[in-house]
Amino acid sequence: MEHDQGAHLVRMVNQIATNLSHERDAATRVRVHLEKFWARSMKQRLIACLDDPGHKLTPLAHEAVKHLAGREAEKSHASSSAHQ
Amino acid sequence: MLEYFDPNQVAPDQSFLKDRFSKDWFSKDYGTPASLSEKHIALEIDGVEIRVPEGTSVLRAAALADINIPKLCASDNLEAFGSCRLCAVQVEGKRGYPAACTTPVEDGMRVTTQNDRLARLRRNVMELYISDHPLDCLTCPANGDCELQDMAGAVGLREVRYGFEGDNHLDAEKDHSNPYFSFDPSKCIVCSRCVRACEEVQGTFALTIDGRGFESKVSAGQSEAFMDSECVSCGACVQACPTSTLMEKSVIEAGQPDHSVITTCAYCGVGCSFKAEMKGDQVVRMVPWKGGDANHGHSCVKGRFAFGYATHKDRLTTPMIRDSIDQPWREVGWEEAITFAAERLKAIQASYGRESIGGITSSRCTNEETYLVQKLVRAAFGNNNTDTCARVCHSPTGYGLKTTLGESAGTQTFDSVMKADAIIVIGANPTDAHPVFASLMRRRLRQGASLIVADPRHIDLLDTPHLADAQHLPLRPGTNVALVNALAHVVITEGLEDHDFIARRCDDQAYRDWREFIGEPRHSPEAVEATTGVPADAVRRAARTYANAPNGAIYYGLGVTEHSQGSTMVMGIANLAMATGNIGREGVGVNPLRGQNNVQGSCDMGSFPHELPGYQHVADDTVRQRFEQSWGVPIDNEPGLRIPNMFDAAIEGTFKALYVQGEDIAQSDPNTQHVEAALTSLECLIVQDIFLNETAKYAHVLLPGSSFLEKNGTFTNAERRINRVRKVMPPRAGKEDWEVTVDLANALGYPMHYRHPSEIMDEIAQLTPTFTGVSYARLDELGSLQWPCNAEHPDGTPTMHEIDFPIGRGHFAITEYVATEERTNRRFPLLLTTGRILSQYNVGAQTRRTHNQLWHDEDVLEIHPSDAELRGIKDGDWLGITSRSGHIVLRALVSERMQPGVVYTTFHHPSSGANVITTDSSDWATNCPEYKVTAVEVEMVSQPSAWQQRFDDFDRQQRQFLDAAREPVASDRAL
Repeated sequence: MEHDQGAHLVRMVNQIATNLSHERDAATRVRVHLEKFWARSMKQRLIACLDDPGHKLTPLAHEAVKHLAGREAEKSHASSSAHQ
Repeated sequence: MLEYFDPNQVAPDQSFLKDRFSKDWFSKDYGTPASLSEKHIALEIDGVEIRVPEGTSVLRAAALADINIPKLCASDNLEAFGSCRLCAVQVEGKRGYPAACTTPVEDGMRVTTQNDRLARLRRNVMELYISDHPLDCLTCPANGDCELQDMAGAVGLREVRYGFEGDNHLDAEKDHSNPYFSFDPSKCIVCSRCVRACEEVQGTFALTIDGRGFESKVSAGQSEAFMDSECVSCGACVQACPTSTLMEKSVIEAGQPDHSVITTCAYCGVGCSFKAEMKGDQVVRMVPWKGGDANHGHSCVKGRFAFGYATHKDRLTTPMIRDSIDQPWREVGWEEAITFAAERLKAIQASYGRESIGGITSSRCTNEETYLVQKLVRAAFGNNNTDTCARVCHSPTGYGLKTTLGESAGTQTFDSVMKADAIIVIGANPTDAHPVFASLMRRRLRQGASLIVADPRHIDLLDTPHLADAQHLPLRPGTNVALVNALAHVVITEGLEDHDFIARRCDDQAYRDWREFIGEPRHSPEAVEATTGVPADAVRRAARTYANAPNGAIYYGLGVTEHSQGSTMVMGIANLAMATGNIGREGVGVNPLRGQNNVQGSCDMGSFPHELPGYQHVADDTVRQRFEQSWGVPIDNEPGLRIPNMFDAAIEGTFKALYVQGEDIAQSDPNTQHVEAALTSLECLIVQDIFLNETAKYAHVLLPGSSFLEKNGTFTNAERRINRVRKVMPPRAGKEDWEVTVDLANALGYPMHYRHPSEIMDEIAQLTPTFTGVSYARLDELGSLQWPCNAEHPDGTPTMHEIDFPIGRGHFAITEYVATEERTNRRFPLLLTTGRILSQYNVGAQTRRTHNQLWHDEDVLEIHPSDAELRGIKDGDWLGITSRSGHIVLRALVSERMQPGVVYTTFHHPSSGANVITTDSSDWATNCPEYKVTAVEVEMVSQPSAWQQRFDDFDRQQRQFLDAAREPVASDRAL
């Protein structure tokens, strides 16, 4: 089931990437879309897929998810340092 | 649905009224429609001077001065007909006795409405009528509400010299075939009001006057019974009838109502206003209210007649609980049920975390109730796992329109269609799903507006009688975006765009990017013909018709949104409207036809996981802080789970409890077996509904809901119109739905203290910039309000985007066509598309518990004759329908409404399992399911599917659990 859920999210983000591929700054658009509309748990699961060398992310989706991962890491770093 | 009933348009002859929206104004029949002329004419009637708009009839002018000339065939929702001759008057300097209804006012005219001659003439007319009319007034169902009786009294009829022995119609045969009204021709005076109402108001043309002279009689179709004719049972004829010839069976049984309350229909997104006519706490009949801004006195078979479900014996009246779904229910008091639910929710959050629970708000409940459920989720559950049924219908509208036009709503009023010159209808079937608006649209089409329908099916709108110009673009399911791009390509390449509008109103860079994209030859009608299946010249002609019309309006439905590119298509439509300058005035616009009564409202009220009320994103710190201050708790700044994500998380084991108010996700959501698996995975499912719906069969807590007749609140219709819902009877289970949510919040330790829904609306107004001017006092004063309603627009906003867009400039979006992954192949060679039918509503929980069943008691599979022949299928054969998701069995209906290769069914009956075969493929932006495209194979079979057999077993068991728990029903108030 775990794997299925990841594959499902990858399919969803690929679909988003395909539909936004003709926009300017497509990777940013995809990343912003995920930030605006996806739940925290879904984003985390999606980011975890980056560790799977067999993931089926399209190049654009991959770029967007990498951006997302960076931003999320920054956010959690900022909030953990705020707590210290 | 008559323009002169629009309060704004009535204005020219309302100088007599102190109160512009007076209830009395709409209670009176002024005899003929209002004239909309700006020019006023002065005349004298019985010595009273009066000024009225040019074109007003003498009958109406007199009525405005409260001089009420007797009349029978005239009614102010119908054009003057001049057949009864009762409204005869004398005009100085003119010969004879003209009918006041057909005589327009003239400057300086002097009219006499009463003298000995006129009195004698009227008595003679009445005497002839009564000589062929049964004198059973005391036992007649119209007693107390009969215009014939009133007129006999008004003209002073004292004797009928002709006797009653001559030829007459007293033995004419009655027709009781319609379940809701009777036809008794012996009472008919052949005034033609029913025939004219069917034509002018409803637009169906099912009735006619058959024969001539003495033989004249009202006839449904070709002398058929009403049920066998083309009659759609809207009831306009019943309402128009001045006698008891056409009479509601409920009035025949109960007698005349003694009081009435104005409220709003709880069926489709048109949001008709009704007078609930009552005796005690019983509804005797629902009469569409002519002061209703959405419907102007018209209705459909659902709203007018199908209200019996509210008192059906299946109504849940006691809260129930159980530990697991294989156990019988246990009836408990409210307090025990609420405590049980709250403790479970708390325990689940303690074990699985704050994000392990969520709620689904209802698109059928009121704004206030919806607002409270999402507030409960965000404030008491402490997460943003809230969603609503709009997820599965119009979420792409929200995304698409917000991206392009800056606001998640339709741009017009319904009345705006009366100024449209070209009307495009895409993926919508208004005559079935939005019937009262369809009647208005048909009126405009009869006046000569062009109609373009883009739909895989030949919908009934294309068969509108007296249609001037109709073009059908029968595209293949799933190719919407290719088609809309081709239409836009024609506009751009043939120079039909509105350069001035684009320059003034739209973002230049986005426009130039889009223009370059859309101008590419691959988007030409010729290039996409093979994809869409629509001939290129038909596309070119349609684009020219729309772009060249002074006013072009686009209406669309779920055939646009419920696709893998639903959001892209909505943006494509907005692009087309902006490119042709068809935004920002009456007669144009982008108009989503909303499905359920309050689907617009449920979206406005913050039901979506990423948006607080008023479409304000949860990540916006300023917005969130305002809500946090008002609600007294921190709000999560990350979006929550959407409905399909909740299902996935439930199956995965991270989502454990769900509170569902007034939605039936087990029947309405796609891929039923997936939904069932998700619901079965939950440790606590709380369902609040008026019936044991399909979802409730998987529940642990069952909280009885209240029908729209049992509560106060507001609904918001497809034109952003906020209408009041008023309580006409006490809630069957003792609580209005909002009170239940309040109790649950309090039990969870989050205090809510509302005494009346008006206080909830005051809170909404305080937190939602587009609602700041909304209050119950303002709604009572004005009748209804269209948001945005705030300091800038104190009386609301009938037409959006008149000066600018909420995002400043309109944004052209790039709409690349991406074919759906759901494709036909040798195994699944047909495309299934799903939809609705007039007599049933959504999952059918309401309409299946009324006589509307007589029109549609099972879902069938419509299949083209060539596909049927290939498989040896005949009408009525049992068909197995198999998709990649599942297998069901339905009966066949061979129909040429489908194109070859496409089959169609409805989802009104749970045991049909239409959604067993729909897939979990969805819109890329919003996860709105792709209901409209499923690849299937169809073959003849001899037994129900395995799913249907399992469904029947489970259904039987769950009903037994319910019956075992319930005390014997005290009074059987079922139909």
